[in-house]
Amino acid sequence: MATVTPSLGAHVHSDDHSHGHHEQTFISKYVFSIDHKVIGIQFLVTTLLMLMVGGALALAVRWQLAFPWGSMPIVGKLFGLFQTEGGQISPEFYTMLFTMHASVMIFLVIIPVLAGAFGNFLIPLQIGADDMAFPVLNMLSYWFMWPAIACFGISFVASGATAGPGNGWTSYPLLSDLADAAPSSGAAQTWWLFGLTLVGVSSMMGSVNYMTTIINMRAPGMTMFRMPLTIWSMFITAILQAFALPVLTAAGFMLVFDRLSSLLPTDVHSVFFIPAGIVVNNAAPTIGGGQPLLWQHLFWFYSHPAVYIMLLPAMGMVSDMLACMCRKPVFGYKPMVYSMAAIAGLGFIVWGHHMFTSGMNPALGMTFMTSTMMIALPSAIKVFNWIGTIWDGNIKFNAVFLNCAAFVALFVVGGLSGIFMAAVPVDIYFHDTYFIVAHFHYVLFGATLFGVFAAVQFWYPKMFGREMNDTVQKWHFALTFIGMNGTFFPMHLLGIAGMPRRYADPYLHGYLEHLLPMNQFMTISAIIMGFAQFLLLGNFALSFFFGKKAGRNPWGANGLEWSAPSPPGHGNFDVPPVCYRGPYEYSSPEAEAMGQDFILQTSPPPAGYKASSNHGH
Amino acid sequence: MKKFWALFFIFWPIVALYVCLVAPSRNWWFPSAPMSSVGHQIDGLFYLILIIVAVTFVGTQVGLGYALWKGATKKSGEKAVFSHGSHKLEIMWTIVPSFVLVFISLTQLEVLANIRVLARFPDEARKTPVAEVTARQFEWRIRYPKPGTQLSTEPQEGDLYFVNELHVPVSQPVMVHLRTQDVQHAFFAPKLRVKQDAVPGLVIPIWFEIEKAGEYELVCAELCGWGHYKMKARIIAESEESYLKYLAALETDQNEDGVADEAASASDEE
Amino acid sequence: MSLTPSWNRFLLLPMLTAVVAGGCSEYNSSFVYSERTTSLIPEAQDGFKGESEAAPAISGVKQLVDDRFGNPQDLKAWLKLPVEFGGTQSAVAEYSAVEGVATVKFSVEEGKSLPETASSVHVVSGALAGETLLISNWDATTGQATLEGLPSKEISAGDSCVIDGGTVMQSGRVLYMRHCSHCHGTSGDGAGPTAQYLNPRPRDYRHGIFKFTSTTDVSKASRQDIKRVLQYGIPGTYMPSFLLLTDSEINSLVEYVRFLSLRGEYERKLVNELAGDFSQKAVATRTEGGESREAIVSELKEMLAADIVDAANSIGDGMAEDWSVSDTAEAVIVPTVARVPDSPESRRRGRELYLSKTLNCADCHGVDGAGNGPQTIAYEKNPITGEPYNEAGLHDVWDNLNQPRNLHRGIYRGGRRPIDLFARIHAGIKGSRMPSFKNTPHEDIWHVVNYVLSIPFEPEPGATGVAVAAPPAAAAVAP
Repeated sequence: MATVTPSLGAHVHSDDHSHGHHEQTFISKYVFSIDHKVIGIQFLVTTLLMLMVGGALALAVRWQLAFPWGSMPIVGKLFGLFQTEGGQISPEFYTMLFTMHASVMIFLVIIPVLAGAFGNFLIPLQIGADDMAFPVLNMLSYWFMWPAIACFGISFVASGATAGPGNGWTSYPLLSDLADAAPSSGAAQTWWLFGLTLVGVSSMMGSVNYMTTIINMRAPGMTMFRMPLTIWSMFITAILQAFALPVLTAAGFMLVFDRLSSLLPTDVHSVFFIPAGIVVNNAAPTIGGGQPLLWQHLFWFYSHPAVYIMLLPAMGMVSDMLACMCRKPVFGYKPMVYSMAAIAGLGFIVWGHHMFTSGMNPALGMTFMTSTMMIALPSAIKVFNWIGTIWDGNIKFNAVFLNCAAFVALFVVGGLSGIFMAAVPVDIYFHDTYFIVAHFHYVLFGATLFGVFAAVQFWYPKMFGREMNDTVQKWHFALTFIGMNGTFFPMHLLGIAGMPRRYADPYLHGYLEHLLPMNQFMTISAIIMGFAQFLLLGNFALSFFFGKKAGRNPWGANGLEWSAPSPPGHGNFDVPPVCYRGPYEYSSPEAEAMGQDFILQTSPPPAGYKASSNHGH
Repeated sequence: MKKFWALFFIFWPIVALYVCLVAPSRNWWFPSAPMSSVGHQIDGLFYLILIIVAVTFVGTQVGLGYALWKGATKKSGEKAVFSHGSHKLEIMWTIVPSFVLVFISLTQLEVLANIRVLARFPDEARKTPVAEVTARQFEWRIRYPKPGTQLSTEPQEGDLYFVNELHVPVSQPVMVHLRTQDVQHAFFAPKLRVKQDAVPGLVIPIWFEIEKAGEYELVCAELCGWGHYKMKARIIAESEESYLKYLAALETDQNEDGVADEAASASDEE
Repeated sequence: MSLTPSWNRFLLLPMLTAVVAGGCSEYNSSFVYSERTTSLIPEAQDGFKGESEAAPAISGVKQLVDDRFGNPQDLKAWLKLPVEFGGTQSAVAEYSAVEGVATVKFSVEEGKSLPETASSVHVVSGALAGETLLISNWDATTGQATLEGLPSKEISAGDSCVIDGGTVMQSGRVLYMRHCSHCHGTSGDGAGPTAQYLNPRPRDYRHGIFKFTSTTDVSKASRQDIKRVLQYGIPGTYMPSFLLLTDSEINSLVEYVRFLSLRGEYERKLVNELAGDFSQKAVATRTEGGESREAIVSELKEMLAADIVDAANSIGDGMAEDWSVSDTAEAVIVPTVARVPDSPESRRRGRELYLSKTLNCADCHGVDGAGNGPQTIAYEKNPITGEPYNEAGLHDVWDNLNQPRNLHRGIYRGGRRPIDLFARIHAGIKGSRMPSFKNTPHEDIWHVVNYVLSIPFEPEPGATGVAVAAPPAAAAVAP
């Protein structure tokens, strides 16, 4: 083992952390750190906190839907808003609640927790590199999150405390383009756009880094098809992100220009999205020639791939964890890789399915419908393969596994409900009803977040050298799972009943009145689910101090990261790792020859063992 | 405990299915049967997809549940089966779903064309649009052409105006022009299964044929600002005769000069 | 690690509970007082505390208003006011209390009927005047009620009472809080949370003035006027149409809006009685002039104890009179001649009048009706303070910039029927700088109406009376 010389350009470190490095201060070690692990943990902690912010906003939304125009707790009494109304919120405040719930959850939780936290932490460890290709860029990618968070924070109050950004996370013009169009369309919207752009900058830095690292810095023997599916998913996500994000950034700038170019001391004003002669709030009629649909095309050209950016890494991580917890190789490793690639590829040509009712040419609708239908195929293949992985496994029923199994079970619901909306005529009815809300929460919460919950616990020992309490995690899982289904499953029925989304008071409409009790049930479920997250946070924080000490490989997993110390020191590995096999050789004859049911990717073939078929696929 | 968790995952799809099965009887289903000709087609497609999806849902959840149960009842010490997958299975579960998906999308095309392609709108509807519906924050403004004239895209003298109430003749295809005065809105009539965004700068024709006289909700389905939920209107489908009567009454009201027939105006005031 | 596992790991839960409990405790809506009220000295606002039985408490303005109108949780009905509070006026026909069970038989005036259900009765006169009794059993056909428990005193036949009083007000308030308050404010001050973002600002009812009415220039708005605005909205503003509310819902809202208007008007007029001498500004001037503050306060005390009570009553009477009369047919503008048939000649005559010195419409609305007359760029003075406004243009009594309408846009806020335009010209737009032209011959007004209605269709600005040109090329129709 000691005779192996690394052939790739990674700088080799010994066990001694300070070797070859100047002394590190607290600031450079834990704050402006360029160590991918610290950055990953920074991302993780930040996003978990943001998860609570987004969750609080969601509960406020649910409160209004269950007790419309009732006195809203905390908002009124504690924040002193809506005093003469006795804490009864205003409709524009409601638009802010759902807009910021989505914005926070998407841009400050899901995207950064997957790529930022786990991407950063896992990529070098799983491919056997000592750090990212561009450590400083990596640090910047985290620190660009904070200006973004600051911009989002300012946007809450920029137009007054009761009217934060309220044009939906999709921010369709003209609502988002004309400052007079809504209370929230003024300064709040501008700050929101700045925040969005900065999140984009952060993501882009990450993407470039991940791609470079994965292509160039793999350990010897770590061929592309020996990479864990986590790495594949991060790789594909990075590519998606790198190609799609510029379009959103461009669109964002166009919108900012539309909004702000009149402030410039030049005669250059843009009207990308503004048609002529529109009057809102008795402002002067617009001078235009633009087209609001352009925004929808540009926005969804990014945001549809973004949906997969929010899902693929979780898919990869869950594949890893399922294999480990079932002590069984991933069923169909290559089909898994190909289907992820197919999702990414098709992801670029399906954006139009968000616009089936927009007045886009019907011929386009037909094309987008077919491509959207086809994107269900790789998703289906993945589901079948996950079930195949669990099948005949030696299942460890811990919270990691339960969360992963929930991922599979709930992703099926999210995937299947998508088929309704891929079919244009049916979507005409379901577009912008609660059916779509149910759909994307099953995908983003049911799938991605459950995957994240599993991943947090799975890699926690590697991050902090201690294990999280499994019993607490099981309680967290059970409460979250029940709360989640209680909250989101009825949304399918609300959608079928024709309840449009983003309504502050749906019960104004006679045909929706009878849905109030169901909404109250959903709100109670959501409150249970929301408070269950304190179990996760508490467990996360307390395990850091009190958790059971973990060794290098507490789960008996195969990946390269498990051959490193827990937590890994600066430079990650005490010995430069060499990869000898695929990542999922659980229960293989080779492992059995060593008397165990796993075999680290770094373990050389046991003496006397004849490698006859270490590639089953 | 292992069995508990396996049952946990077997149990919840049963609850979900049960909820879906009782939903129609609990009124957690469509607000009503489809009341327009395309509505029937849309619902037909919905139920087709629902059946396919339900079968898939049950299939995958049974598969998952069974796999979990097998894992939970495994004797201690028993090893996992070492397998990297199966080409046959992969091919099978690639081909079958792709046929199903292509089948689903092919079934949609005809209906989609009927709903959206202007050239395939019923002729009588396309030639005489009955009204222009203009969405604005936060109401629906209706403009009918002066009785006996053709609807023009720009307001004409003698056009009739109303708000939040669109009258159309029943049992015949009608076309309305949809536009917006300010931001984007969407014309959504849940019981008719009609939805179309109103996009600033565009005039978008939509057609529907209401099968039964009555009142149908019209709401907004695209976020249009703080009062999005307030855009509550109705479509009233009535016989040709009473439709024309309505227009005549609207014309009289619109020319009200306050001194006309005393009795009529008195009853009008109340 | 330095932290020891101990009780402090459970601190989180009580902290959370405290936050939730603190944030979730009861929180009620409230009526606010106008800025003019709060500009009075504190004693005038809050009155004087009672020190002994000989010197009972004396109400200030706030208390006087609350006595008559209550707060959103406990609305008061000042029966003198022309507001339909709800409930059935009736009288006690028989009363009996046998074995601890009190039964009352009620009677109503000829032509009126008893309600289908009843849960409470408010006694207005007699020994129990002012008390509300709960009804446990109600027979609508006979008017026989069983009371819950025994009343503290005898009720005698002939005592007048109200069954289920305030139902209209209650439903009006609930509807108002749901549909209206976020713009118009809980107390109808046009300052709800959404109001600050809207142009024009939502109506502040507290002046008792509504812009678009069918009534004469000196009248208030009639119920029908408010109802019409609720049903059809005000085009060109954020006031949407509430057409689909039921008739009884609309009626309750109308009554509640009247209630809030009257509350505001009452408060305003009460303050008028005191503002001259007892506003903070006036008192400052007076003390500078050598008067002692104690003297001023005792003068105020005297006034609040005696004169103001009479003043309050006469203010109530005056308001009752105004609002009642405005709701009768006499207040409605009825043109003496039918509309002059629309013709190029009539439109030309209308334009002549429009430009004439007598009507002088062009001064504000501009020569071509584009709403750009010379007045729109002049600086006005605030009629109350005498200070010029910050921005050029015309202002309404709410101090909002209120520029004249651009007549080319075809948007008529007060309605597009000829009678609506006639009333706009005849009575003016109340509270705004659009004056009343009631002395103009009605025929001339009709000419102007015909002209104004034709402006959006003019082939070119100012070219009226010309045959209408062919409609412009159709706008692009999306496939």
